Amino acid sequence: MDLQQIVSIPFLLVGFFFFLAATIGLLRFPDFFCRLHATGKGDTMAVLLSLIGLSVYEGFSLTGLKLIFIAVFMFLAQPTATHAISRAAMRCGQEPWIKGKAKTQ
Amino acid sequence: MGNFFLYLGMGLFVLVFLCLYRASFGPGVLNRIAGICAIGTKTLVILLLMGFIYNRVEMFIDISMVYALLNFIGTITAAKYLEMKGEA
Amino acid sequence: MTRVTDDIIIRTVARVLIPFIQLYALYVIMHGHHSPGGGFQGGVIFGASFILYLLTHGLEEAKARMSEMKAGLFSSFGLLIYSGIGLLCLIMGSNYLDYGRLSTILRVIPAQARSLGILGVEIGVGIAVMAVMFSIFFDIATGGEPPGGEESFGDRDG
Repeated sequence: MDLQQIVSIPFLLVGFFFFLAATIGLLRFPDFFCRLHATGKGDTMAVLLSLIGLSVYEGFSLTGLKLIFIAVFMFLAQPTATHAISRAAMRCGQEPWIKGKAKTQ
Repeated sequence: MGNFFLYLGMGLFVLVFLCLYRASFGPGVLNRIAGICAIGTKTLVILLLMGFIYNRVEMFIDISMVYALLNFIGTITAAKYLEMKGEA
Repeated sequence: MTRVTDDIIIRTVARVLIPFIQLYALYVIMHGHHSPGGGFQGGVIFGASFILYLLTHGLEEAKARMSEMKAGLFSSFGLLIYSGIGLLCLIMGSNYLDYGRLSTILRVIPAQARSLGILGVEIGVGIAVMAVMFSIFFDIATGGEPPGGEESFGDRDG
């Protein structure tokens, strides 16, 4: 096990943990906006960490640089998509959930 | 190291099915869009892990970049359509 | 669907990302030999970048950058490149799209002539696919009405 493998395994494991947390949030949260918080932020961080881990494993080559490009693109694009969905929800009249109300969508 | 990637890929595959629950049973169309976006993100990482398992990363990297792009454009299109339509 | 987005975040991020998406589409077209890609895939990505521009910046600005007439011209031009290379091989005395005969024009060995011939064909296919994708989306977005004005070919009544 050389240095590249030792450094890349924690990145991948923490990335998988963020994926797990985001999915559990997507299933269990009581409101649409809460679920959008979970998947919008959690998935972005998870993809970023996973791609950095894979890039460290691959080394300094063209493939490693391309993985960094994908990571930068996801970092820019995924929060924008989340913002677009939440804006559409506000325009449609979806109301945020206040604690005490019944568990709606 | 190949075994580690395999187990990680299988774990992500189970998570995709959990997201599919929200994509199919979510009350209203907005929950479904959020579920599809999450499925697309996990699929991208699964593709890259498969490239590492089969030792042919150069093949799978371009495909995953295109999938990230199409996921982004599709989510923005669906959100814009709902905004114009005006009801959930 | 075709109004300008009144949201500055989506408009700015789309404006930043669209040139890089187009550059990536050109990379996919050029690297059809060595990695998954080629003419059709690169053309689809290029067309998707135009569709993103139309979604975020509105119909009028997209029409100003790429009108329907230009889309039609581009698709015909792509087809002309494809068929032109095939007919050139036919003129040189061999079968249609047999690129080995181009080696006398380009002064390279036949294997390299085949590689360059396929590259030219892929570029033609990419241009045609890009124009057709944009044209289809434009037609669906406007509901099929003719453009009118100085865009139309000749006179129209009704």
